[in-house]
Parts: sequence; structure tokens; C-alpha cells
Amino acid sequence: MSDTPLRQQLLELEARIAAQGCYLTELPARESDPIRYELLNSKLVETVTSAHEVARLVSASPMTRELGEVIFGLYTPEGDAVVLSRGLLIHIHTMSRMIKWMIRNGYEESPGFRHGDYYFNNDPYIGGAHCPDQMIVTPIIHEGRLVGWAGGLTHTPETGSSDPGGFVPFARSRFEEGLFLPCVKIAENDEIKRDLEVLVERNVRSPLYWLTDNRAKMTGVRMIREQVRELIAEFGIEYFTQASREYIEDTYRAARRRVQAVLAPGRYREVSWRGSVMPGEERLLHGPVEVTVRRDGHLDIDFTGLSPAGRHPFQGTLPTLEGLVMNVVIQHLFYDLKHNEGVLMATRLKVPEGSAGNPPSFIYPTALWGITYGAGLATGQALSRAYYARGYREEVHATSALSTGYTAGGTDHYGRPFGAHNFEFAAAGLFATGVMDGLDTAGVEFNPEGEMGDAEIWEQILPPVYLAREIHVDGGGFGKYRGGNGVFSVYMVAGSDDLEIGSFGSAPIFSAPGLMGGYPAGALYMWVGSRTNLKQLIESGAALPAGEGDNPERPAFVDAIEADWELIRGANRLARPVENFDVFTAMSGDGGGFGDPIERDPAAVAADLANGLTTRWTAEHVYGVMLGEDGAVDEEGTRQLRAWIRRERLERALPAAEYRARVREELLTQPLPAPVSRMYRDVMGFSPEWRKHFLEFWNLPDDWEPREAEPGRPPSEPIRLSTRRPVEVNHA
Amino acid sequence: MPEYSKPQIADLLAGRLSPEELQVLQRQEKDPGREALVREIEQERLGWAEPILVCLQQHLYVVENPDGTRTVRCDCGHDFGDYRRNWKDNALVYERDPSDGMIYRGPRAADPDWNILREFYCPGCAAQLDVEVVPRGYPFVFNFLPDIDAGEENDNGR
Repeated sequence: MSDTPLRQQLLELEARIAAQGCYLTELPARESDPIRYELLNSKLVETVTSAHEVARLVSASPMTRELGEVIFGLYTPEGDAVVLSRGLLIHIHTMSRMIKWMIRNGYEESPGFRHGDYYFNNDPYIGGAHCPDQMIVTPIIHEGRLVGWAGGLTHTPETGSSDPGGFVPFARSRFEEGLFLPCVKIAENDEIKRDLEVLVERNVRSPLYWLTDNRAKMTGVRMIREQVRELIAEFGIEYFTQASREYIEDTYRAARRRVQAVLAPGRYREVSWRGSVMPGEERLLHGPVEVTVRRDGHLDIDFTGLSPAGRHPFQGTLPTLEGLVMNVVIQHLFYDLKHNEGVLMATRLKVPEGSAGNPPSFIYPTALWGITYGAGLATGQALSRAYYARGYREEVHATSALSTGYTAGGTDHYGRPFGAHNFEFAAAGLFATGVMDGLDTAGVEFNPEGEMGDAEIWEQILPPVYLAREIHVDGGGFGKYRGGNGVFSVYMVAGSDDLEIGSFGSAPIFSAPGLMGGYPAGALYMWVGSRTNLKQLIESGAALPAGEGDNPERPAFVDAIEADWELIRGANRLARPVENFDVFTAMSGDGGGFGDPIERDPAAVAADLANGLTTRWTAEHVYGVMLGEDGAVDEEGTRQLRAWIRRERLERALPAAEYRARVREELLTQPLPAPVSRMYRDVMGFSPEWRKHFLEFWNLPDDWEPREAEPGRPPSEPIRLSTRRPVEVNHA
Repeated sequence: MPEYSKPQIADLLAGRLSPEELQVLQRQEKDPGREALVREIEQERLGWAEPILVCLQQHLYVVENPDGTRTVRCDCGHDFGDYRRNWKDNALVYERDPSDGMIYRGPRAADPDWNILREFYCPGCAAQLDVEVVPRGYPFVFNFLPDIDAGEENDNGR
């Protein structure tokens, strides 16, 4: 391939950055006239922000309109982000990856970059996180020369995947995840190519969302293109080009100064977990991270020990992991800097090739990008400890929720073919912080301004109707400050004779750990009730259940509705047909807790109980708080109960040395549960460094190998329970 | 650069600030004197003669002893030894089957075939210092090894 001017420009830039260790060595635009410099920046930010707002009004997809799963940005000719709108932060970098991929792969020569061209991409190995993340970029041409790119991204609720809705918990390869269009030119001369719309119409269950999202993104990027051309006319092309690059270097410098100012230097280690629930191949996935806060203000982030990639969708691509780290550091550390490529330059990532954060080929599915999300969030835990040591407790937090939700497809209540997922999980319970409880039903880490959307809107686009949408009582991890409780919804199937319902979640694990003595948020789960008596209940005017109630072992709706129930631990369900009046649940996920729960202010426990956010059982068992019948704190009873809990701890625990000796003996003599044994085998076979660490810690012989116990009940196999009354047999 | 009074920061540490007051702290630039101020507050509260070098996490501090050694100490006074080794090696450990029905009920517990909980307590005061979410047989996680001298360099540089 002959070198095109842009490709040469990109290679030269990369060589220059490597040689000089920074994006630019001098900032003349900033230094000569800082006001003009900031003025252009604020106008550029205004430009991408306007594009973000207008695009939301153009799309017909609730993800874009209601939930704000959108982001827009302006990029340099070589594809580095200069300014970004608010929104789906993880994708500021993934669009950059797309532009660079096109430049590297000769697109400048063919199909070419002309004014009015629009390129589409949803291939996560090029840029993006999974098939639903769809980006469009257009070149900005000035006097025949490409001087920048405008880009926009939305998350579409249907991709034409094997299961409806794009989140496929049992995908074995990329080819089950939907329609991929890797860097395809979808418009020329600002006109959408009709044949490519037909391609979408014939490959996706609900093309309306995808196609109106395309219009939304095209509107947004065209707005950016035109406004940037006006700004170039106003400021001059030389100034625009110089200042755009200076913003990146400026951020890189500011980011390092920030690290030096607020984080304690040192080495931090955290670990996160996800799991593949593929039937017969259930295994835990390992997501360790080591963060080193350097004295020079760099963050070295090392993911050595990540599980190897596998034939399951609970892994992510390298652009995803980079985007997630960027997302975490922007939200927790660089929140008030100019958000651009300079942020990522301050972090230096090590992600092993072939791992579940950097799969060896594009065949590996990534629909749920699980372990990369876990490992990205674990980076945030490390930052929290570094903040804590510098005294900035207001920035310390436990882990964010892992979200889960339902998918649906078939014929909708208007008689049209459809597929979509409900995205109310964007309002999960937030993490507890070092100084206050996590917010309930508040948000998720991957989109800081996501929201749950109106129930009525979900009922417009999806046939199921809400029986209940409540705060998930006791969902958040317990702690001195508790994690936020997420949303828990109970749905009834209605209005469609051809509907299948699926769900995506995790393995039956704790996905949102606590911090410094706090407990993790509870595991994810889903109830499905079939052959119900809801029709009779509704016709009789009886009260319908309004939620889970006080006892998650026996939810109120299970007692109130006669049905054949299935409980799915981890909430992964392959889409299967349902009938009208069937019932199912979904939960958004909850945040991790902070600190020892028996140090929680008893008055806060009493207030939670009064507000329906906790239960008496939890108050007593977990928080050691005795409450009178009127809900008031029994101070003396609480003091005694907490003293008893402390004594119990001292009695049941082992000194660490004794515990280690016992576990070592178990590792030598006993098999490990199948999902765990497979994880150790995978990781130790993949990472010699981690194998060495493991064997040294337990003082095990070099030839030690995990032994696998007989597999237990797989999470894909539901626990069954019937509350249907015995059928009366008519012998007449 | 904002500056906060000692009572304000003492209120922060004690969790007595309202969400609105916290938001002010989060929106302002960070006060460069915070680390020293927090150490001063904690030093006074604990009444230790040995200086606190690092507030490591809830309950735990790295202190410098008269003999020059630096050890991890709980606020109850229990010493966990050299800060360069994981304090967890000198803690009490309880491995909890999450489905034991004591903390999580019903489906909210992780399956013990996938995850267990490892609770670390202070042998002196029984405070729960950490809860690890791990599978069986996982090595202890050494969460934080501070680069103490680098921190001092930063202090001097201000």
C-alpha cells in the first residue's frame, strides 16, 4: 500500500510523540493570547454540545431521545479527540480509533475522504464496545485539505443479533451479535445511500431506531462540520490547527499536574470478576488491575493476569478497555479538564494480547464486554485509595453497579416486527462514597448522565407493561455508608401473541465490590412466571403485587400470583417465547458499600427503614441496629448487639497464617468448583507472571495444577418453583 | 486555591457534611494543604506520639516508630507490622459462604462455587477492615503500597 498524505502524517505524528514524550513541546497559541485560545475552545465545546442536543431530538430511538446514550466530538486530521460533548464518555476514544483505522487502511485513496462523505462503524475491534455502539464521522475539508473530523455515536437498541436486542448472553462468535458495518461509507454529498438503508431494513428487527439514529448522527456531525468551517473563517486555518493540537498537550500536562496534586504515589491492586455462563463451559473471568501512581504524574495501569479471551460475550476489545479507563479517569480525576486525547496520554495501559481485554481475533464476541468493564471499574477503586491517602475523602467511592436488563423481540403491540432492549438499567444504584451513602436509582459508570426513561415510553416501544417499578430494597452493598439501591421492575406480558423475552446479566457472582470493609452489592437475578392467574386477578379487581416486598427469598409477587416460576441466578436468559399474562422481573444493579456496616449511624438505618429502603432483618442482622416497634432506635439494644457481633467475629475468624495454611492444604488435597478451577487453569496457562504469583503466595510446588470438582448447577438452569393451586380433576 | 478550616475537614471525615456541602468540596479545586490537615486531625484524635505518615484506609495508618520502622497501625492501637508487607497477613480472616443466609438472602447471594467473601478483622478491636470478593483459593489482594518518600517530596515541593 502506498503511503497517502494522511497516513504519512499519522505515522510522523506517532514517531514525534514517541521521540519527544509529549504531543507538542511548546504552546505558542496559549501563551501568546490565552483569551483567544480559550475563546476558540469554548466555541468548539459549544459546537459539539449543540450537536449532541439537536441529535437527541432527531432520533426516534428512546436510547438517544430519552436516555442520552449519545456523544459527539471534534478530531484532528489524524483522529485525536480535540473537544467532546457530554454523554457516553467511553466512546470519545473509540471514535478516534475508527478514524485512525481508516487512515491506516488506505481509505484516503479509496473510497476517499471528500466533503459530504459520512462513514459508519460499529465494529468494536476497530472502535466501539459492541455491535449496538454505532458511530458516524465526516471529514472537514478546507481548501481541498482535510483539516479535521466531526464524529458522533449512539447506542441502538436492536442490531439483528441471534437474540433480539443486541445483548446476546450466549453468543459463541461475533456472527451472532448482529449486523456489523465496519467503516462503511453510508452517504455522499450529504445524501444517505438508499441501498445501505435497505441493507439495514433487511437485517434488523426494528430498523427505525438504527436508521433514525443515523439521521441524528449525520445531523450532528454536519452541524459540527459547518460550524467549524465558520470558526476557521473567523480564526484562520493556521490558528485553528495549532490551537486544536495545543488543547491536547494542554490536557496532557494538566492531567499529570492533577495526578501529582491529588493522588498519593504508590502501587495499588484491585480485582474484579465476571463470568461466562455458556452451558457446559461455565467459568469465572479474572479482571485484576495494578495501578502505579508515578511521581511524574503518569498512571501506569497494568492488566496482567486478565483471563484469556474465550468463545463467550463477556469480554471486550482493546478500544473498549482504553475507553473504559478514559471514562473512569475523566469522571473521577480529570472531570474539569478539557476532555480530549491528552487524558489518555497521562495513562499508560498494559493489556496482554490474547486476553479478554484484547482478544486475538475479531471472531470473539463482545456483546456484554463484561470483564473489561469490571477491570475498568477496579481502576476507579485504586484511584479511590489514592485519593483517601491524600485526604480527599469526598472523591472516594466503592464500585459501580453491573447493569442488567431484558431484551424482547417478535411482533409488537402494533402488529409490527420488532426487537429491542429495555435500558432503564442506566439508573442503577450508585456506589457508596467515603463520606455518604450511594445515591439510589441514580446512574451508571459507563454513562454519567444516563437515566431510566419514563415507564410510559418503554410501554410504547415494548409490549410488556409494568406491574411495579420500585427501588430495590437493600440492593446496595451494606456498609458504614451503603451502596445505592437500583431499580427493580416487575412486568406483565401484554398485547402480543408472538413475543420472546431474554435477559443479559452476569454469572451468579458479586459484580460490585465494597471498599474498606463494605460489602458488595447483591448478585443479579431474574424471576419469570408462566401460566399465571393474572387475567383472573385483574378481572376480579384484586390488588396486584407492587414489588418484591421484605423477603427476597420469597418475593411478594411470587406469593400473590399463581404461576410456574423460574429463578435465574445471574439474570442471563436466552430469549424464549412468553404468553400474555406471563410475568418477569428486571433489575438495574446496585452499588457497592463503604466501611464496616456496624459503624453505620443507627439513625441512618432507622431512616432507611422509614423510607422503605431497608428491612428490619437487615437492620438487625447486618447493621446490628435494634429498632423498637415504632421504628425508633433502641440505643442500648444496639450497643449490646454490636458488641456481640464484634465478639462473634473474633471467635469465628482465624489468624491469617492459620487460614493460609488451611487453604494451602485444601489446594493440595481437594478439587475446586468447576468455574473456579477453569479460571485458575486458564489464567495460569496464559500468564506465567500470575502463575508465579499464585504459587508463591500459597507456597505450592511448581507442578501444582487445579483439580476440577463435579460441576454444580449451571446458572443457565433456572431454579423452579410453582405457586399454582392443584388443578381440580373433574371425574364426571 | 480554596482553604478549609479544621472543623470543616473534621466534619468531612466524620461524615457530618450534607450532600450540598460535599458538592462544594467536589466542585472546588482541591486544597493543597488537605493531606497535612487530615493527618493533623487524626493525630490529635488518636493522641499517638508516633507521627502518622499515611492514612492508609478506614482504621489503618502507617506510623513511624521511634526506632525508625514504619508499621501499619489500627486506630485501636493494634500493630500490623511493616507497611511494605500486606497488613492482611496479620489480620483475622473469616471466609464466608455468601449463601449462609447471614448477610444476603435468597438469590442476592453469589453462588459459593463462583465467589466467596473473605472478611478481614482487626485482632484488637474486631473492626471489619476489608471484604474481599474472590473465588476459593485466591491469594490475598495487597491493595496499597504507598511510595511514602515520594509523598514527602511532594509536600516539600509545595
